[in-house]
Amino acid sequence: MARTKLYAGIYVVLFVLATVQALVEGVESIDYWTAFGIIIVLSFAKAIVVAAYYQHLRWEPRSVSYLMVGGLFVALALTTAAAYSIL
Amino acid sequence: MSHEHDHGHDFPPMSSVKRWFVTTNHKDIGILYTVTALFFLLLGGALAMLMRVQLWSPLWNVLGEGAYNQAVSAHGLLMVFWFISPFAFGFANYIIPLQIGADDLAFPRLNAMSYWAYLFSGLLFIVSFFQGGSFSGGWTMYAPLNVPTFMPNVGGTTVVLALIMFVAAVTMGSVNFLTTMYRMRAEGLRMRDLPMFSMSILLTVWMMLFAFAALLAALIILGADHVFGTTYFTSDGGTLLWTHLFWFFGHPEVYIVFFPALGIMAECFQTFTGQRLVGRKWFVLAMVLVALQSFVVWMHHMFLTGINLEIKTLFMVTTIGISLPFDLMVFSLIYTMIKGRIRFTTPFLFSLGALILFIVGGITGVFLGAVVLDYEFRGTYWVVAHFHYVMVGGATGLFAGIYYWFPKMTGRMYDEFLGKLHFATYFVGFNLLYFPMFVAWETPRRVFAYAPGLSSWHQVATVGGFILGLSFLVMFYNLFKSIATGEEVGDNPWEYSTTAEWAVSSPPPLENFPGVPSYEGGKLSFRDEHEAAADGGASTAADGGTADASTATGSGGVATGGGALATAESALASQATAEPEHADHASYWPVVVCFAGFLAFLGISGVRNGGFYYGLTAAGGVLAAVGFVGMAQESFHVPEPTVAEQWPFGGVENMKLGMWMFLGSDVVLFGGFIGSYLFLRVANGWQHWHHLIPEDHVVLPGLLNTYLLLTSSFAVVLALVAAHKRSRLGVVASLGLTWVLGVGFLANKAIEWLHLFHIHSEAFPNGWEVGTNVASSTFYLTTGLHGAHVIVGLIMILYMIPRAWKGAYLDDDSSLEYFGLYWHFVDIVWLFLFPLFYIL
Ligand code: HEM
Ligand SMILES: [Cu+2]
Repeated sequence: MARTKLYAGIYVVLFVLATVQALVEGVESIDYWTAFGIIIVLSFAKAIVVAAYYQHLRWEPRSVSYLMVGGLFVALALTTAAAYSIL
Repeated sequence: MSHEHDHGHDFPPMSSVKRWFVTTNHKDIGILYTVTALFFLLLGGALAMLMRVQLWSPLWNVLGEGAYNQAVSAHGLLMVFWFISPFAFGFANYIIPLQIGADDLAFPRLNAMSYWAYLFSGLLFIVSFFQGGSFSGGWTMYAPLNVPTFMPNVGGTTVVLALIMFVAAVTMGSVNFLTTMYRMRAEGLRMRDLPMFSMSILLTVWMMLFAFAALLAALIILGADHVFGTTYFTSDGGTLLWTHLFWFFGHPEVYIVFFPALGIMAECFQTFTGQRLVGRKWFVLAMVLVALQSFVVWMHHMFLTGINLEIKTLFMVTTIGISLPFDLMVFSLIYTMIKGRIRFTTPFLFSLGALILFIVGGITGVFLGAVVLDYEFRGTYWVVAHFHYVMVGGATGLFAGIYYWFPKMTGRMYDEFLGKLHFATYFVGFNLLYFPMFVAWETPRRVFAYAPGLSSWHQVATVGGFILGLSFLVMFYNLFKSIATGEEVGDNPWEYSTTAEWAVSSPPPLENFPGVPSYEGGKLSFRDEHEAAADGGASTAADGGTADASTATGSGGVATGGGALATAESALASQATAEPEHADHASYWPVVVCFAGFLAFLGISGVRNGGFYYGLTAAGGVLAAVGFVGMAQESFHVPEPTVAEQWPFGGVENMKLGMWMFLGSDVVLFGGFIGSYLFLRVANGWQHWHHLIPEDHVVLPGLLNTYLLLTSSFAVVLALVAAHKRSRLGVVASLGLTWVLGVGFLANKAIEWLHLFHIHSEAFPNGWEVGTNVASSTFYLTTGLHGAHVIVGLIMILYMIPRAWKGAYLDDDSSLEYFGLYWHFVDIVWLFLFPLFYIL
């Protein structure tokens, strides 16, 4: 089962990225909003990797991914527009 | 684990009461929905009559404030939720499988569950009246009036819980219909060729899947404010948060209500003019556009709140945008009428009436969509008149449906004269009732005091209301009489009908078709079972494309049992490997589980009062557990069609697609929670938020839990790998590891929470508890919801381990895979919660 190695590699990467997220905030030279950006981007990166490989989305018909992107889009539309409305 | 295969064979006849409790057949369930929805129409209608009596004169005091507020609120909620959509879904259940050429829905037991959850949620609502009064804050349930501080009676909480249960029913239904319509169409039936009614339901369930998930987030949060004492809707920004969440659901909801009616109108216009819908392709495109746009217009309900002017202007523009595709649909219907030759039957009259009412409603809505005009009209009877023209206009289309399909559902014709009489009184009553409201628009909404000069208009409206109400006596009399003595009809009483439900007998046989339906020749035909199976094998293999070692599970073969909540389903189902020919149609577990849910929710409504209510909650919980296990253990066979059109989800088995659909809605549920957190944080000042959190709330427990969950996800992956290697012990060990890690996650969380509850710092001398402030509320509730997902997963693993021990997943690892989808999803959610609640 050649894929076991791939899965294990992914696991290590996820582990490291989570640690990086926790560390970034403590670094003095990075200001809050830069750290914010880095941390959020890392979260999305990890989520995409889990979905693509562990949930096998890569090997499913594209339409399944569209379904999930649709849900994500709906959630983001609500969040950003609502937050913007009170800025 | 006994495998009895007999319950399908002695499926009780329709005359037996038992049949109606155990049936999972889509036609039976369609009838159950229709009858139940009509019951709620009567209930909501009775409340409306009470209101109209009160409004006869501003000087009268028939109901009094408290009762009037409850009547207004309950009327709105019952009509919008428990009548109109379920009524449409009665037809959807009955007709959709027939129109698309399927034997039943993809998950028949889930379908029964959905019905029973709907019924019991309605009963829960009725109980609320007897718990010191029902919800009295209007159907929009605006904050902060919706919290116990302002509405202390238990009944207010019960209504929130009833709505949660209702949303559960809706979500089960949406997942089921989507899976069915994508995976079980007759050979040759392309998505774009779906009959208009099916098309409208398809778009409706898409909107439902996402919109109701947002409502669910709002309701769970509201429920938590009621039961756990969180402070979402009483904190800074809380009022606006509710309006955002509610209307983000609410605007799509108006199309969810209207689309099925539009579909029926399109069918009736075609059948009774003998003319294909003019510009059908554009009509469908317009509907798709509206369904998409419906998610970006919600703030037109918030023009009078403190949101900024830029966003108001933007939403005014999107609102104007959404009315354009509607114009196209209206013109298409009108041209269809002009080009065809009209037969004025009752269903046609109701369809035409619906169109006229919708035009009036649509035009008056455009007024409200303009910011400046809305400043004037908001909160007045103009709005009341507008939305009744559109919503009850939609219901008019559904009444067309009941006459249109009555012969199909009963095998007998209704009385045409009485049908026309019903229409005439209905239409006159309707306009007498609602049109004066435009004239007397200055009447304030939801309040029974109004300027005495307007009272004559209100008296006209009250008279109209009673005429409208009485018109239904004609309908009920007609339908009852015709079931018994109406003229018998053959397959097809309508000369120009074109859809497949008219190609089978009335009512259709239990499994719908005399052979395998196919559109290959361009027209509907029925093929022999064996012949279809022979070349079907090839065709399914062809689109089962992904012959990848870890995913290929074959799309054709043996079906798994369809039942239980989609979550529980993945792990619990798939007992059935029975003989392929025979399908099961009966299970009493759905009603048991939903009754358990009823008890549990009723218990939760009053836990603040302790005692008796605790007992109810516990009893409900235990019974639900029994029910789910019973359902999982039951052998319930659902054959997947041997040949079916499955674009664009070929190769994704029914159960897997159902799981993905469910997860899609879960994304929006968590999105609603995370969005609420972000919104409140913006409202309270993003960085200022840190003052609301104790020093002791540190990164480490969160990081530890991230490690635990990531590792557990990896363990699930290993379980699947082990299954491929046919290593029984490997599967058991990996699942065991997942379980231990999950428990570790919860234990770590418990330690963390207990510590935070009991800290004594200068800023938080009394601990940092759920209701301490808005930061603690969002923290405990959001991570708590996630924790609840973990617990559900752990319960599924507990069920799976003994089965894995017996080698259950070595030959068919699909349940393992579906469980993995769920578990990884829970992991993904945590990947966002961790930084948001621990780092930033
Ligand atoms: C042409 C399309 C439509 C437009 C431009 C439109 C516009 C609006 C606007 C701006 C409001 C807010 C009024 C206010 O409270 O100040 C409103 C309210 C409402 N509309 Fe529409 N609408 C349209 C179609 C529909 C349809 C098709 C339905 C239902 C089938 C519907 C149902 C409602 C309901 C229920 C309300 C009242 C909500 C409440 O209780 O506050 N509308 N409409
Ligand atoms: Cu709207």
